[in-house]
Amino acid sequence: MFVRASRRSRQRFLLRCAVPSEPNPLDPAYLRHQLQLVARRDAAAFRRLYDATSSKLFGLATRILIKRELAEEVLQDSFIAIWNSAASYQSHLAAPMTWMSTIVRNKAFDFRRRADDMVELDADRFDGALVDAAEDSGPGPADALQLSNDARALALCMDTLEGMHRQAIGLAFFHDLSHSEVAQQLTLPIGTVKTWIRRGLARLKTCLARQEQS
Amino acid sequence: MNIRDNPALQDRLAAEYVLGTLRHGARRRFERWLLDDAALRRTTAEWHERLMPLAELTAAAAPRPQVWRHIEHQLGLRRAARWWPSWQGDALAWWRALGLAAGAVAAALALVIGIGLTDTATINAVATLTDAQSQTALVLTADRRNKLLTVRMVGQAAVASDKTLQLWAVSRQGKPRSLGLLAGQGALQLALTEQAIGADVALLAVSLEPKGGSPDPNGPTGPILYKGSWVKLV
Repeated sequence: MFVRASRRSRQRFLLRCAVPSEPNPLDPAYLRHQLQLVARRDAAAFRRLYDATSSKLFGLATRILIKRELAEEVLQDSFIAIWNSAASYQSHLAAPMTWMSTIVRNKAFDFRRRADDMVELDADRFDGALVDAAEDSGPGPADALQLSNDARALALCMDTLEGMHRQAIGLAFFHDLSHSEVAQQLTLPIGTVKTWIRRGLARLKTCLARQEQS
Repeated sequence: MNIRDNPALQDRLAAEYVLGTLRHGARRRFERWLLDDAALRRTTAEWHERLMPLAELTAAAAPRPQVWRHIEHQLGLRRAARWWPSWQGDALAWWRALGLAAGAVAAALALVIGIGLTDTATINAVATLTDAQSQTALVLTADRRNKLLTVRMVGQAAVASDKTLQLWAVSRQGKPRSLGLLAGQGALQLALTEQAIGADVALLAVSLEPKGGSPDPNGPTGPILYKGSWVKLV
């Protein structure tokens, strides 16, 4: 049920993260500028924003909803919300990808709550986020480049967590699971899961702070 | 439980709130605390910035092209983008593209009444210009007796400092004439002349142009943001 990332695959992943050689389409300054234009009803900028972020956001929606049709519906609703609320986006409060990912995640969760039985969770997908990104055979270096600096930093920190802690956090984050649901999925006592998640989050915080300093 | 004096607890709850594992009563209680605690809001926002990039740690996958088409269709973007050139070749095409309901005229009249005109003004024609979502953005009224065209922005248009809004009168033959540049808000009065808005005007439109107005004297160069038909009342 659990796929632990091998040391080699992790190193491969980190290597891929570390060597950006072309402009990053998820560059926050670029996305922020497009969002400002979208707020002024600039349809061409909206298209540029879609081109830059849709595959990343669709990946997120698919991760949550598994089924492509549902994920596409959520992506569509999300971009309509992005167009309609771009004027309320406050760049000092959230990075552009954070803002847009939040919209997609919330809509996907709403969708799942409405149609809970339709979405069968695939246990194999449950390993932590980083492992998924590292082990997927499909995407090559170009995909690894599609990370903002924030995500790159987080990937490095997620990599320092113990596999099970990472997995518990990934389950909660991507599948909207409570402590007890995570415990059920991992067939572990709820107390253990609570502790792991708490420690994992604290460790992430310390790691990210250290990265910011360096 | 008093969390105000317990920063470690605040931090933990904020993290679990963002992750989603804070549930039910605990979540609702936390949201109530958020309302009147700026420090807690800040802590939560920080956790948001920390954890949301997890969303990016998924393999990218291209959605099918119809997703964009649906978005475009639902927001009316395709029509907005093609509208201006489409009627230039075919004067009737924009009539079809327009499709304004009688309701818009009624809305214009309601707004005109609300605006509070003086007794001496005589309104001879009105237009409500709407955006791609059919939201009214401008109301225009023509007072032939005083030769005034009053333009009122209903809301506020966010216009970049290097851009300006330009108002156009479009004749039945599809020929645009500039009526002037607009501020992004408030009201403005323009001289109403037969030359600017003659009997053949069927439509008013606002385009987004570089500062100083469209570089092309024969028509707009930027996107059409608002449009509406020119309705003569007499």
